[in-house]
Amino acid sequence: MSNELENIPIRQELEVLQSGQKRTNPLANVFDGLVKFCRSRSMFMLHYCTGCGAIELPPAMTSRFDMERLGIQPMVTPRQADILLITGYVSIKTLKRIILTYEQMGSPKYVIGICSCTVNGGMYWQSYATAKVLRDYLPVDVYIAGCMPRPEAVISGLRELMEDISSGRAESWKKYYQHYDYYLGNQQKLFGEDWQTPTDIIAEARHYDLMTEHTLGEHTALLEKHQKPLEALEMRLSVKDKQKV
Amino acid sequence: MRPENYQAKNHPPSHEFELNFGPNHPGIEGNYAFKVKLNGDTVLSARADGGYLHRGFEKLMEGRLWIQNIALVPRICVPDPVPMEVCYSLAIEELGGLEVPERAQWIRVMQLEMSRLAAHLFAFGGHAATTGMYTTMFWGVADRDLILDRFEELTGGRVYSIYNIPGGVRREVPDGFLERMSSLLDYLESRLPDYDNLFFRNQVFIKRARDVGAMTQEQALKWGVTGPNLRATGLAFDVRRDDPYLVYDQLDFEIPTEPGGDALSRNLVRRSELKQSIRILRQVIERLPSIRGPIRCPIPNPLAWNVPAGESYTRVESSKGELAYYVVSTGGDKPYRVHVRGPSSMHAVQVLENLAVGSRLEDVAQIMFSLDACPPEVDR
Repeated sequence: MSNELENIPIRQELEVLQSGQKRTNPLANVFDGLVKFCRSRSMFMLHYCTGCGAIELPPAMTSRFDMERLGIQPMVTPRQADILLITGYVSIKTLKRIILTYEQMGSPKYVIGICSCTVNGGMYWQSYATAKVLRDYLPVDVYIAGCMPRPEAVISGLRELMEDISSGRAESWKKYYQHYDYYLGNQQKLFGEDWQTPTDIIAEARHYDLMTEHTLGEHTALLEKHQKPLEALEMRLSVKDKQKV
Repeated sequence: MRPENYQAKNHPPSHEFELNFGPNHPGIEGNYAFKVKLNGDTVLSARADGGYLHRGFEKLMEGRLWIQNIALVPRICVPDPVPMEVCYSLAIEELGGLEVPERAQWIRVMQLEMSRLAAHLFAFGGHAATTGMYTTMFWGVADRDLILDRFEELTGGRVYSIYNIPGGVRREVPDGFLERMSSLLDYLESRLPDYDNLFFRNQVFIKRARDVGAMTQEQALKWGVTGPNLRATGLAFDVRRDDPYLVYDQLDFEIPTEPGGDALSRNLVRRSELKQSIRILRQVIERLPSIRGPIRCPIPNPLAWNVPAGESYTRVESSKGELAYYVVSTGGDKPYRVHVRGPSSMHAVQVLENLAVGSRLEDVAQIMFSLDACPPEVDR
C-alpha cells in the first residue's frame, strides 16, 4: 500500500509543499501562494466555550464587530473546522474533551488561546480543578491575553493568525506530530498513564511524514502497553420480532 | 473492514438510543452536557453532566482576602455578573456593620437593572437562535453591546466591572452619563415593538414554544425554581419587592407574571421585565442627581481587614432568579466559608432533567435556553 502511494508523483510535490521550499515550476509557486491566501481568508472556527471568554465572542461574531467580513465563520463540527478557539480557563474534565476535539480536526489546524487563564492559569492559578498552561497539552498558535479580551482584541488576534497563515509561519499543528511524546507525557501526568484517545496520532505522523526522534518515546510506549481493544461502535438499534414488517 | 481487535457486543433488542448532548454543542448554553435517552425523537430520560466549568470558587475564596474576592465573584455568572458583586458586598457589610451611603445604593440599583437588561436581551436572543431565528440573536447582542458601552463608561470594564466594594462603589458617576443613559433607554424602549413583531408575536416562535417544557406552580415550588421561571407559573414572587434590599422599597415597579409555565411564558415574562427595568432606571436617573453625599463609607485597611466574627445570609434578585450568599467569618482577614446559592444550579440540573422527559429532542435546547440557566454558576 505504502509503495503504491510513493509512486504517485503528486506526493513528491506535496512533500516539497510541506517543507516550505520554493518549487521549480514558477506557476506552482504562484499556486502555493494562492492556496495560502485562500486558506487564511476562509477559516471555519470551532469555539469550545470552555470559560468566561465565550461571552465576548457573540459581539465579535455579530453585526457590531462582524468577524464574517474576515471570512471567519463559526462551525459546529470539528471535522470541518480550521481553528480551535479555547475561550478561557480549562478545567481538567474539559481538557480531555479539548484534546479529543483537537485530534479530530483535519490538518492544517490552528489553536487560539483566549484569556489569561490559558496562558498561565490567570485568576485560578491556585485552583485544584484547572489545567494552568494550555501550551503544555496542545501547540498554540496565538494567545490573546486579557480578562477578558475585548472583541477588538479577539479580532486583532485572528488577523495575526491570518497573516501567519498566509506567510507560512503558523505551523504549530506539525509540532504536535513532531513532539507527540512531550504532549502525551503532559497529558498522562494529568489524566493518568492509561490515557487513550481514539485517534492514532503516530500513524498520522507517518502519513504526513512528520516523524522525528521526539515523536516516539517513553510515553508513547505506555500508550501501547495500556491499549484496550476497540469497542464496537455499532448503533444500538435492533427491531423486535413483533415490530418487524 | 473491521480492525483486528474488534469484538462485537450483543445488545438487548430495544428502540432506545443514548445520545451525548454537549459539551461542545451549539444547542447547549455554555460548556455543559446531557446524556439523553431517546426513543425515536422522544426523550425518555435526561441526565445532566456538569463539572466542565468547575473551578472550586468556594474553596478559592477561603484562601484570599475579603477584598480580593470581589474580583473573583463576578466570574461565577458570566452573563449577569453585577448581582454577584453586590450580593457579596452586602454580606460583608452586614458582617462588618457598615452603613452604605444612599447615593452608593442608588448607583448599585442602576447597575443591577442595567445588568438585568443586558442579560435578558442575551437570554431571549439565545432562545431565538435555538429555533432558527438568528435575526433576534443578532439584534439582542447588538443592543446588549450598547448597555455594555455604558458599563464601560461607568466602571471601566465591559463585562466584569469590579465596581462594587464593601461600603459602596468605587467611582463617581461620570459627567453626562445620566443623559446618555436616558437616551439609551429611549432607544431600547423604541426597539421593544420591533422585538415584539420579530420574535414575541412571531407564529414560528409561539407554535414552537407553547406547551414546551411546561411546569405547574406546585412543581416549580417543589423544585426550587425562582426568578422569571417562577413568575412564569403565575406566582408573583420577587426578592426586590418581598424582601427589599438597597433602595428598591422606594421604587415603583410591577412584578409581571404569566400563567402558562412553559417556554413561551418564560420568555414573555422576560419581555415584560425589560419594560419594568427601563421604568426603574428612569426613576433612578430622575432621583440620582438630587441625592448628594459620599459614594462609599470609610473601611479599614482592606489588606489587613479583620471582618468581625459572625455569619450573614443576603439575597438579591438576579436576572436568573434568587441569588444568595452565606458568609461565615471567624474574625480573620479571609472568609472562613462562603456558600453561593445560585439559581441556575436548580434550573439546569433537576428542573431541566424533569422538563426534558417526554419532550422532543429538538426542544431540549429550547427548554434549556428558556430556563436561562448559566452553566458556570451551576459548576462554580
